[in-house]
Amino acid sequence: MSRASANDTRAYLFLLPWFAGFFCLTTGPTLASLFLSFTSFDLIQAPRWIGAANYVRIATNDVSFIASLKVTFFFVAFAVPLKLGFALAVAMALNKGIRGLPLYRAIFYLPSLLGASVAIAVLWRKLFSGDGLVNKVLALVGIHGPSWISDPDYSIYTLVVLSVWQFGSPMIIFLAGLRQIPHDVYEAASLEGASKRRQFFKITLPLLTPVIFFNAIVQTIDAFKAFTPAFIISEGTGGPVRSTLFYTLYLYQEAFAYFRMGYAAALAWVLVLIIAFFTAVSFITARYWVHYDD
Amino acid sequence: MTTAFIDRRTLLKTGASALALTASGVPAAVAQEKRLRMYWWGSRERAERTFKVNDLYSARNPGVKIDGETLSWGDYWPRLATQAAGRNAPDIIQMDYRYIFEYARRGALLALDEFMPAVLNIADFGKDAIDSGRVDGKVYGVSLGLNSTAILYNKTAFEAAGVNPPTHETTWAQFAEICAELTKATKKEGFWGSQDGGGVEPGLEIWMRQRGKALYTPEGKLGFDAKDIAEWYGYWDDMRKRKACVPPDVQALDRGSNDSAMLSLGKAATAFEHSNLLVGYQTLNPQKLSMTMYPTGGPGAKPGQYLKPSQMWSVYARTKFNEEAARIVNFFVEDQEAAKVLTVERGVPASAAMRKFITPDLNELDQQSIRYISLVSDRVGPLPAPPPNGAGEIQRTLRRINEEVGFARTTVNAAGKQFIEEAQSILARG
Amino acid sequence: MTDGMHRRPIVGSGTVVRARALSLGIHLLLCGTSLVMLYPLLWMLASSCKPENEIFSSMSIWPSRLDFDAYVRGWSGLKIGFGRFFWNSLVISVLCVIGNVLSCSLAAYAFARLRFKGKNFWFALMLGTLMLPYHVTLIPQYILFLSLDWVDTILPLVVPKYMATDAFFIFLMVQFFRGIPRELDEAAMMDGCSPWRIYRKVILPLSLPVLATAAIFTFIFTWDDFFAPLIYLNDIGSYTVQLGLRAFVDSSGKSDWGALFAMSVLVLVPVVAFFLFFQRLLIEGVATTGLKR
Repeated sequence: MSRASANDTRAYLFLLPWFAGFFCLTTGPTLASLFLSFTSFDLIQAPRWIGAANYVRIATNDVSFIASLKVTFFFVAFAVPLKLGFALAVAMALNKGIRGLPLYRAIFYLPSLLGASVAIAVLWRKLFSGDGLVNKVLALVGIHGPSWISDPDYSIYTLVVLSVWQFGSPMIIFLAGLRQIPHDVYEAASLEGASKRRQFFKITLPLLTPVIFFNAIVQTIDAFKAFTPAFIISEGTGGPVRSTLFYTLYLYQEAFAYFRMGYAAALAWVLVLIIAFFTAVSFITARYWVHYDD
Repeated sequence: MTTAFIDRRTLLKTGASALALTASGVPAAVAQEKRLRMYWWGSRERAERTFKVNDLYSARNPGVKIDGETLSWGDYWPRLATQAAGRNAPDIIQMDYRYIFEYARRGALLALDEFMPAVLNIADFGKDAIDSGRVDGKVYGVSLGLNSTAILYNKTAFEAAGVNPPTHETTWAQFAEICAELTKATKKEGFWGSQDGGGVEPGLEIWMRQRGKALYTPEGKLGFDAKDIAEWYGYWDDMRKRKACVPPDVQALDRGSNDSAMLSLGKAATAFEHSNLLVGYQTLNPQKLSMTMYPTGGPGAKPGQYLKPSQMWSVYARTKFNEEAARIVNFFVEDQEAAKVLTVERGVPASAAMRKFITPDLNELDQQSIRYISLVSDRVGPLPAPPPNGAGEIQRTLRRINEEVGFARTTVNAAGKQFIEEAQSILARG
Repeated sequence: MTDGMHRRPIVGSGTVVRARALSLGIHLLLCGTSLVMLYPLLWMLASSCKPENEIFSSMSIWPSRLDFDAYVRGWSGLKIGFGRFFWNSLVISVLCVIGNVLSCSLAAYAFARLRFKGKNFWFALMLGTLMLPYHVTLIPQYILFLSLDWVDTILPLVVPKYMATDAFFIFLMVQFFRGIPRELDEAAMMDGCSPWRIYRKVILPLSLPVLATAAIFTFIFTWDDFFAPLIYLNDIGSYTVQLGLRAFVDSSGKSDWGALFAMSVLVLVPVVAFFLFFQRLLIEGVATTGLKR
């Protein structure tokens, strides 16, 4: 018993900075936002308690909520797997001993560095407009493309492409993961005559599962919360029509453009529930496919 | 204790210069100094001019320092809202005609009437320009520039096509004619007469005012019905069908900033804009731009346009230096030296004296702005009723539904009904 | 290395050719992809040297004439030079990197290796902090920092990093720490090492790739962060580069797009440099420690 509590104390010492941050910096604002979700709060006057009215409206009477949820789910379903697949493939290619490797890595990371800059917003509109570079390239193979970025049927795809194009972060994490797999495992396998393909499925992939799991969880959460791409590309409107009205963009409009912070807080907590559900499911299934050394 | 505190703050505030400052032993002797925060949105050029005027003011009023904070339009409002929520907004705040009602009615701004005319003497603005800063009877904003809606057009393109550009006497029907003609006559591919203005709120407002209606009634209700708005959407649907304006998937490239406007992208020859934006548009355009009034309602119609402030100075309700802030505001709008620095960058000065004083030194483009304001002045109607809460959301709804018509997701008549329904539910929610 | 030399004679020459072809193929693919990745940078470079009125109206990437004036205007514009913004950003970013790597690795070690009561509960809460959109905690947080008198200093941007408030990094490190063979710390434990010694002597040295990754990300996220500085830094003298960039352009006036693109290019330089430097750790890390299973 005393040994257990001594262990606890030691662990809590390691967690001290985190506990300090959690209780002093995170908890207060988080609970405050939960409180605000039950109020009508116009940012300037004091919040007014209105019970569950905000949640009732979300559940029963909000077209934009439904529209933004659809856009967001679509984005998550397409952007996350594509981005992860691309990041893993490139990380595998860059893990080999090729000449000029650091340079390639830097180049591939570059789009992620450009992040949410104004320059990207301008460029993206140029690339994906009706007479933009993308359509000029497509025209070479005889495809006459639409104005991708400004057609409500296609505009969301340009944001998926933007997200996949900025695959740098998961790629770096995959690279670090690949690096942590000891060489001698492969050497042993080679001696036993295992083919490259077999090595990939029997060694690389299983040992990489903790990292794959991490990237999947984090990217999914990020995609649900995606804000900046839609914000910069549509300058906060979510248009054309509602085709790029991401959930957090809608939430942001409510909070800062229409002075309804209470409603925005309720939207945020609904999103937390949605994300928490998917994360919990992932952790439960993880028991069957994620391989830890412990 | 005080100095230690200040040193810590200055040190944390910035890096190098603060380090250098403390290292060289210069004490931060700010105890008696009045320090005011001033906040505005705008480009680099505006920042430079504003800083210069602030320095002028400090030079003439030792002991008063004005810290400038500047951002672009889109970033400006979330920060102001956050600071207002924290009761820590800047002392002097640049205000927009739309937002002043939101902030003033919620008690975030200071009524300036008590300083008029002793400290803030703006009698030569004229009644309308002063009233444009009034909310519920009190003055909360001081106009930094007269402004009105204006059609900006590509003069070179009209000349090349041999089509006469619109004038201040062009009617809506003639405007459609002119634009259709330009599209036909131009040799450039992917170039149309006009932008799609169906989502431009000032356009709708002028259209309604010319018909004796309004966007909003003084009671804060919608000033028109489903049939009226359907006519508006219908006008633009017709424009699209006649190829007088850009198609919907081109118009949707416009995200409400002048760099993405049809005129700047070289897609259309005309833009529905405000007169103070001529200079900004011209820098993005290699061809020559000019401007005129929005189309008229034809014979017997009422004037649609009105003069409004391009932006205003407001004073924060909780400022510690209310009189000093009012004095600084006065300096910006009624001092010759300041006017010389500011010129018409924020719009044509509302003060008749300042306008007269700076005009001779202005360049051709700026002179054009002044001429335009005097042209409009004789053809304006009264100020409209203030927009109610929710007007900002309705503005976006107007645009969205116009897109839905454009992309053929709804019909003109259904769009009219839908707009009224949505707008009314927004107004009911407040 | 010796291993490879032994192997070479064994494989047939056909395999060599195939390996060469594969390597060439990979190179070609990488070059092609690189072009797609680099295009925006090239375009930004081109835009920064273009006459202002060509940036939006012309589709061509080539400027009609080269004009480097935008760099001069951008660097010295805004009353306060851009150099000051660089310095401000650098101070904040470096402080954040140190704080984040230290505090997150401590917390991650506890979650990954130590047994304690309520571990799963705290871990779930920690992950939960990732899920709430920051827009709705912004105002309460602002009021919190305001009451501490921290607004308009760099403290709200830096101090949280020393308190491991970014769960992303804790989670990241947990995943990697769990990949380190347990026998290593068990052996150390047998030798009577305390958890603190194990953390320092076993876990940290074996985790260089993930620590480097965390350092790179923290630097870049902080350098690119725009919203926190927007809210917490008021005075233009304390602006970061991202705030400085936003001040060039505004729809309601005469914007300086040339300067924006010029400075956008310059702003990339420190991040790329930081990346190139730290990625060496990412690559060399484990290889030199000779980890055995």
